[in-house]
Parts: sequence; structure tokens; C-alpha cells
Amino acid sequence: MSGTYDVVIIGGGMSGMMAAITLADMGRNVAVVSRGDPVCCLSTGCIDVLATCNDPLEGIGSLPDNHPYHLVGEAAARTSLEMFKTVMSGEGGVYVGNVHANRRILTPLGRHKVTCLVPGTMEFADFHSDEYIHVISFNKMKDFYPNYITSNYKNAGCSIFDAGISTTMGIAERFESRQFLEGFISWLKGLDIPEGRIAIPAVLGMHFAVDVCNEISVELGRKVFEIPTLPPSMPGLRLFGGLKNALLKRGVNLYWGKEIYSVEKSGSQIEAVTLASAGRSARVQGNAFILATGSFVSGGLHASMDTARETVFDLPVYLPGKRESWFNDDFFAPGHAIEKSGICVDQSFRPVDTEIENLFVCGSILAFSEVMKYSCGHGMAIATGVAAANVCGELV
Amino acid sequence: MANCPVSRVNPEFPGPKQAGPDAERFRSDDEMSIDKWIRLCNQCKRCEVACPYGVNPAEIILREQVRYGGKHFRPLASRVFANNYWLGAVSSVIAPVVNRLSPMKFIKRILNVFGISTYLPFPQFHIHTLSRSWRWKGRQRSRKKVVFFYGCFLNYNRPDLGRDVRDFLASLGLRVIMPRQVCCGLPALGNGDIETARKFARKNARILAGYIDRGYDVIYTCTSCGLALTQDYPGILDLPDGRKVSENSYNLHEYILKLMEEHYIEPVFEPFHRKVAYHIPCHLRALGIGYPAAGLFEKIPGLETHILEDNCCGLSGSYGFKRSNEDTAVKLGITAARAIKDVDPDMLVSDCGACRMQLAHFSGIPAIDPSEILIKSLKRNHE
Repeated sequence: MSGTYDVVIIGGGMSGMMAAITLADMGRNVAVVSRGDPVCCLSTGCIDVLATCNDPLEGIGSLPDNHPYHLVGEAAARTSLEMFKTVMSGEGGVYVGNVHANRRILTPLGRHKVTCLVPGTMEFADFHSDEYIHVISFNKMKDFYPNYITSNYKNAGCSIFDAGISTTMGIAERFESRQFLEGFISWLKGLDIPEGRIAIPAVLGMHFAVDVCNEISVELGRKVFEIPTLPPSMPGLRLFGGLKNALLKRGVNLYWGKEIYSVEKSGSQIEAVTLASAGRSARVQGNAFILATGSFVSGGLHASMDTARETVFDLPVYLPGKRESWFNDDFFAPGHAIEKSGICVDQSFRPVDTEIENLFVCGSILAFSEVMKYSCGHGMAIATGVAAANVCGELV
Repeated sequence: MANCPVSRVNPEFPGPKQAGPDAERFRSDDEMSIDKWIRLCNQCKRCEVACPYGVNPAEIILREQVRYGGKHFRPLASRVFANNYWLGAVSSVIAPVVNRLSPMKFIKRILNVFGISTYLPFPQFHIHTLSRSWRWKGRQRSRKKVVFFYGCFLNYNRPDLGRDVRDFLASLGLRVIMPRQVCCGLPALGNGDIETARKFARKNARILAGYIDRGYDVIYTCTSCGLALTQDYPGILDLPDGRKVSENSYNLHEYILKLMEEHYIEPVFEPFHRKVAYHIPCHLRALGIGYPAAGLFEKIPGLETHILEDNCCGLSGSYGFKRSNEDTAVKLGITAARAIKDVDPDMLVSDCGACRMQLAHFSGIPAIDPSEILIKSLKRNHE
């Protein structure tokens, strides 16, 4: 289908979706073009805002001057994160957490991860190491080994439930059924767990996990929380599903699963993008465009041996010197220089050193974002997505 | 994996990643096809829409399904459904008999023995099919000319709707013709019979390409037919005219939006005060053209649309009509119907006839095609 929109957003990840929601709420006619499901589906579903300090928002001030968070500012970042929480709770995916205080969740390796906003199912995942933890696993469930957790804590136990299916998606599907949930709860009651909290891998249903988790908590009189798993990651899928439904509710048009194969320009304006297809190509026309295609993993940037390019508009890419200087010697040492690469923008999120005028850039494709080093991926995506959309929305 | 409806409810199917690219590394044309579970894929293509790296697991699986089908005994049900065009042709000729017989218990039991599932009532057949109205002559002269590719479902089971769509198109100032046409070939392909699929497709492509050369556009309403015309004809079926057909075929609603954009028509939308749940068929998603009917619904005053795109209805054409898939189809149908009931709509809308049958059955909510709403809303324009 060809269509004409006020704004066309390229990239259906965290940043692109939040930009779309912002623009739709401003009354703009919006389309999102994505070549597939975004990387946030694979994530823990938690929103890292800035994990390197206790108060993530205050911490923005201590970041290097060229970090994209400075384009947003502390106040606007707070507003956009609150907006995210409101949107998600409207979709049944309540998020908890204080934007001024980081918290911890339990990982499947039995370690803690520092993050900021967490799905309602992980509200009680931040516990004192003396407290008793009872880990539940599922028979033959792949890639989830409760021993990793129990061996890290002196005070922990474990039980295994047979769900009749061993895949994450399969178990999650079963939790959608009342009968299955009741059976699970009565099995849990029969375990007579003496005290402490109950930890369950994140399989408590696809759509109503927070309700399921609360129900188990109430029935057992214990604090229950989910542990994110390796992909398929239910909390990541719920995050994506919630935002996507928010888009659909707002009448945002989705073009999913096709790559962009050509861009039409006229002078300093981008006029349309055309999607690859077996036959006639869909042409999506817009007055303004937002680029939110992510970094190397998401395919917004593509690296060859000695350079990197931006994959949709061929924008100039900032690179931290020659290839020799891209990586640290130690793979696990944080802060590989290549993380700095990306698109440089001005105060209004427009790319610099290009003649294009109606294009705005947001999310992890922004230069100097260094999302691994600062653990600020989803938070930065939300903040810059909303901020870029606000600038763009005023102009179209 | 996260998007595969089948593997979620049927542990025997390993999911698109393992059944597709993973297993593909161990397959060779010189070797026997041994993956029995390959047939369990219902070709909803959700994996292809989801994959951000351009891998097409469903296509890899489809090729293996065809290879498997060619080397192994194909059950009777598969053979019958591959030729559902002929099944429909025969059934519609003796429609009163078929419609009377199909709900009968002993007939159902016989069908079950032959591997055909009967949890869902069979669709009603009609004697006066669309293919019988080829003599119909609408407007003769017009700047725009279209061929209406109606597909088997409208032809045999809803010829009334087919005629409404045809008249509606004519009322928009188009020259509409419905030349001889056969099944698009997708059912045969889905049942592992590529030869039959190619036979059907070649015939259609030849006819359609002839019209395209004379300036016609092709319009389809069935999203699965659309997927066959636009993706399988130039793709797996590799027809000489495939590309031409693909480039000139349009979804009905997509075409109407196009006409509006070109200011060929400037319709006035009459209010339609209803709350509808719009179940997006998997194959509409796979077409990659967005949701054009939803774009039109936005223009209809009073219409409250809730788009539901996360569930496969489970019937998947003839997939759910096979006993071996019944359990999967029923489970998926119940899940998809639950999402619809949660919206509490006046009616449910879906572009796909199979989705409508399945979901009306499990939700108890009347199901209609989006074009029915559109035709109502635009009635005054063409009266």
C-alpha cells in the first residue's frame, strides 16, 4: 500500500515506537516502517536508564558533553520515562520503579543486574542476600539452570514443575489458561515453602503476566517475582507487544517485515521510501522522517573491515578513528571505542554534515551513546525518541 | 520462534528456526527428506514478518514441505485439499445436497476416517457461483480497468459478497471484468503438491498477464490469493509472467486508497456506528502492505476499530481441516477468539474467509469482511 503521512518513522524498536506514540498523541498521522521485530524482544524487558550511578537521572550531568542524553536534559528525560510507564500500564504491562533510583533484578546466572524501571513481575526481584529464595523451574526447560542461582546463595532452594511442554513460549501459552494456573498454584501450595520469596523464570503468560504474578503472590502469601531468561524472552516480547498495541490503538500504520530498498529525495527533502517486495513495492511518503534503526546489532549501522555506513540514507557516520582503535584488548572490558560510532546530530536531532532537512535521528544509532558502557539502552532510546518526536511534531 | 503459533501449542513442531534454517543445513536434494514434522508448519509466515535479518524460514520450510510431499505418500486429506478448486466446483454444482449432507453425523464420521476434521461446520456452497457470471457486463468504458480475482472462497462460498464487491467497484467508475480463472494454487502448495499448484498458477498468470498488457490492474480480496499472486508466482512457482502479475496486483482496499490518492474518486463516508474487532489475517501481515482496510475504517465516522494482529486463527486454509492438525487449530482458535471477546465488539472483521469461519465459530460473534463495512459506508456514493 502506498500512503502519505505527516511523519514516517524508520525502525520499530524502542525509540521508533516511543517517537510514534508521541507524534500520534500530538495528532499527527504516523507510519512506522520496520524490517522485522526489534532487538528489545530479546531484552530483559527492563529499562536501563543509566546504570553507572545510583540516581540515573542526576547521573546524566556526569556524562561526557557529547552524550545524546544532554540533548534531552534531565527534566525531559524524566517526563518521557513517566510517559513510557503510563503507556505500558495502559496496555496491561505495568512498570514499577523510581526514575531517580536504580534497582536490581536477579539474572538466570544468579547475579544481579542494575536497572531502573522493571516490569511489574520483577517488582520484588531486588532482595537481601540473607533472605531465603525458592527458585521454581520447569521440567526440561532449556537454558534455565536453577543451580546457577542456588549455588550463589547459601539460603536458597529449588523445585521443578512439569508443565507438559518445555519451551518458554509453550509454557507461557499454558499460563494463559485459568485451569493451568490453578493447578500450578495448588502445586506450589503443596511445596510448603517455609519463608522468603519465590523466583520463577519469566514464563508467567504472554499478556497478563503481572496479574498472574500477583495472583500467585496473594494465593501463597509470598513475594513472587520473575527472572528474565535467554531468548525467547517473555518480558522483552511483552514490552514490544505492549508498545505495538499502543501504536495500533493510536491509529499508527505499521509496515512490517520488509526492507527499505530505495529512498526518494527532492533537493534537501526526503519524499518517500520504497519497501522491497517480490512484486510491486509499497511506497511510503512523508513530510518528515525519523531514523530510529539502531546501531550495529539492529542493522542501522553496517561495518566493513575499515569503515561503517548508515544503511538507509547513507548519512555520514562518526567513527572513533581507524579500525585498530575500535576495540579494547580485553573483550570484556567495558567501553570499546566502536560504541561511540553513530550519527552526529544538532540540538534539534537533525543529522549534521548533510543537506537533508526533514530528517531526525534518535535511539542507539546516535553517536557517543555508548549504551553498553553506560547501560543506558532502553532509557536513552525512550528519551531521545520522545524528544526527537517533539521537535519533529512541532514542524509538520 | 517467539512468533510461531504452531510450536507454541504443539511440541512436535520444533519451530521455524530449527525446522527452517537450522535443519536446512542437513538437507540435500540427493538425500531422502525425513523431517516428518515439516508438515506441521501452517505457513502463516509470521516468522518471516518478524525476522529483522531477511531470513525467510517459512519459505525454506515450504520448499521442504514440497520435497517431502513429492517423496512420501500424501494422505488422502492432503490430496483432496490440494485440489479444493475441484472440490468446490463439484460441491457447488450439487450444493443443496452437499449443504444438507455436510452437517450429518454419519457423514462427519466418514470424513473423520479419511483424516478430515469436522470440528468446524463446513462452509455453505452455492449453485450460482461467481464463475457463472462471466457474462456480466458492467460499465464498458472507463479510464481505469480492473480484473477482479475473486478466489475460491468468494466463488463457491460467498458469491453474493463477490457480486457486491464487483458492483461496488463498478460504481466507483471502474470497468470491472471477471474472466475465467482458477484456484490461485496456494492450497496445493500448502499441501505439498507443487505440480498442481503450478498448473493452476500458470493458467491464471497467462490470463491475467494478457489483461495487464491491455492496461488492466488485478484486484484481489482474499489475502492468501494475494500472497500467491504477488509472492509465490514470481517466487517458488517461478512463472514467466509471475513478475508482471505480482507488480500489477492490488488488495481491494489498497486499490481504493490509491484511487483516492489519485483523486480518481472522492468518496463521502457515511457513519457506521459499530465497535469492531479487526482480526488481521496472517497473510495480510505477510503481504507487507500495511493494513489498508484499517486506513479506510479510520475515515468512517462512528466506527470504533480494535486491531488484533498477534494471533493466528489456527485454521490456516485447509490446515485445520486435517485431523492431524485439529488439536493445534482448536487451541489457536480458542486463543484468538478470546482476544476478540475481550474487546467485546458488535462484530468481528477479517479479510480472510477461513479466519472468519474459525473465529465466528469459537467466539460466537458474527464475522464479516471489511469490504462489507466499506460498501455500506459508501452506499450513497454509488446509488
